[in-house]
Amino acid sequence: MARIELDAVTKQFPDGTTAVRSLDLAVGDGELLVLVGPSGCGKTTALRMIAGLEEVSSGTISIDGETVNDVEPRHRDIAMVFQSYALYPHLSVYDNMAFSLKYRGGVAKAEIKRRVADAARILELEPYLQRKPRQLSGGQRQRVAMGRAIVRQPRAFLMDEPLSNLDAKLRVQMRAEIAQLQRSLGTTTIYVTHDQTEAMTLGTRVAVISAGQAQQIAAPQELYRRPANLFVAGFIGSPPMNLIDARLERSGVAPGGAGGRLGGDGPLVVFGQHRLPVSPEVMRGHPALEQYLGADIVLGLRPEHLNDAALVPAGSSWPVLELPIRLREELGSEVHIHAAIGSAAHVGDGGADDLRSLATIVAKMDPRTKIAEGETAVIAVDAGEIQFFDRATGASIRR
Amino acid sequence: MAPIQLRRKSTKWGLLPIMAIVAVVMLYPFWYIVDNAFRSQGQFDRQAGHSLSGWRQLFASLPVGGQLLNSTVVCVAAIAIILIVSTTAGFAFAKLRYRGSGMIFLLVVSALMVPLQSILFPEFVNLANVHLTSSYAGAVLVYAALGTPFATFLMATYYRGISDELIEAAVMDGLGYERTFLQIAIPLSLPAIATITVLQFIQIWDDLLVGLFFLPTSQRTITAGLATLSTGRTTSVPALMAGSLISAIPAIVVYLIFQRHLVKGLTLGMGK
Repeated sequence: MARIELDAVTKQFPDGTTAVRSLDLAVGDGELLVLVGPSGCGKTTALRMIAGLEEVSSGTISIDGETVNDVEPRHRDIAMVFQSYALYPHLSVYDNMAFSLKYRGGVAKAEIKRRVADAARILELEPYLQRKPRQLSGGQRQRVAMGRAIVRQPRAFLMDEPLSNLDAKLRVQMRAEIAQLQRSLGTTTIYVTHDQTEAMTLGTRVAVISAGQAQQIAAPQELYRRPANLFVAGFIGSPPMNLIDARLERSGVAPGGAGGRLGGDGPLVVFGQHRLPVSPEVMRGHPALEQYLGADIVLGLRPEHLNDAALVPAGSSWPVLELPIRLREELGSEVHIHAAIGSAAHVGDGGADDLRSLATIVAKMDPRTKIAEGETAVIAVDAGEIQFFDRATGASIRR
Repeated sequence: MAPIQLRRKSTKWGLLPIMAIVAVVMLYPFWYIVDNAFRSQGQFDRQAGHSLSGWRQLFASLPVGGQLLNSTVVCVAAIAIILIVSTTAGFAFAKLRYRGSGMIFLLVVSALMVPLQSILFPEFVNLANVHLTSSYAGAVLVYAALGTPFATFLMATYYRGISDELIEAAVMDGLGYERTFLQIAIPLSLPAIATITVLQFIQIWDDLLVGLFFLPTSQRTITAGLATLSTGRTTSVPALMAGSLISAIPAIVVYLIFQRHLVKGLTLGMGK
């Protein structure tokens, strides 16, 4: 087991592309840290630098306090599981798993046999030890790749999207198996994926990477409930958080019209024709909001915090929005309602203005809802869960 | 579905006569050699009767065994050099990142376009200057130089088809690039190696020009030796046919041994 630290690590390729920018990471002993981000964000490059397969342009990578920038991959005592599994096609499953121990030397034949047998038992690969990789299914190949890493008993595992070649059902099964295996072995693991569900379910902590930089490193629930910025808010969660360009105004006008039903003198979030009152509790929870009174902000609403007003328990004080319904998606255990919000949709820096007219917010509702496509529905908002972001910097407005 | 299957079937049957004609055209010369190798000159002239006269004449005129050995030595040595250079260079071009790799590869590949005839005299002068024209070494080096560009091109193409992750996995497993090459790349590239072996064997074994130019009489290859049988008016066709038959057999044997890999190797890079 090992503690892995990245200190201001940057990777610039000869063509000038900067894949990783001043990345700081600290992975604790026995921890499973997931690097998640969209394609091309630099997460795999970061992993490859830790493995020693890419040179570090600047900064330091250390394992157990020892700087390994110039240490060859084979001397880092790290095992890697690749996206394509990278099994040696000319060798049997047994030889694939024993390969490293055989060629590194220093391990007796009987010990190699014992370790391979142990790994094969854990991974349920015993019947396949004499087969070649081409005779195995995708899930079995993935297990062999894991087995090859396990038998080495390395200081750390690096996993580069190891489940991305599996079908959805097998991916869920293998995800659980990897999580259990990592916990039982207690080996420090860095896991790269672009799938946020995989990241959230696997990681002790998750580092969200974008444009080569860590946007936020936190436990899954922390990432979900308190995203540090607009990128994390939009990336984590499925469906993603609804982001709306709004303005925080001091209440002088009683809310009404197309907006809220509630009265009061507290601040209001205003977007388009809609107004949402911000309760004193929310203001107390976000003291920094005071500075944004009269300023443009971005409002964040998780789909599960929007509900059919008819299904909200009587007596609850959820403000409501009246929105035209564009689409109703039945998912069995829940229903996704897509409601148009038009020009208020936050489309980000790269977003074109004409996208706004197509924009909808998504509400995750109980399947009992009667809301139908084409109608204008009354949607209640759990105001206590609203997130606020600085429009200019994208940072979360908290304290 | 049915029309496609029907079309496939009719295409298959339509191709059969064409393939049969091609087979006859290709096999007839071989039959001609076999048939006339077992005649005397008189029987050849009359195209009637068979005997071992041509064989007796061949063995009386040429040191066939020695020349077959010479051909084998030259072939094996040249192919060994070609394989060593092309596998290592191909791996370096395909899998190692270094400055100028693309340009060097282009230079190597451009050597494919240089015809043997154009470099024959300069090469002879070069090798004569270092006293390599009176032994196997001269011919071996020329064959190796001529065969290496194509072989390197083929190997580089083959290695490019092997996933980078496989090589990196071996590096992570504790092998350096040298042992990764030996333990992973070489076993995986056996089809390409077989292809190069067969193609180069046939080319070198059948070559006449280099054998005549660069080898002394005592070390002549069988092909160069057969050429000396034809001396103006006194050519014995049955002896020549018998020699041709003997000389063709090793190439056929090598082809038959490697043909499964050869087909695999020739279709390299044609898709997944």
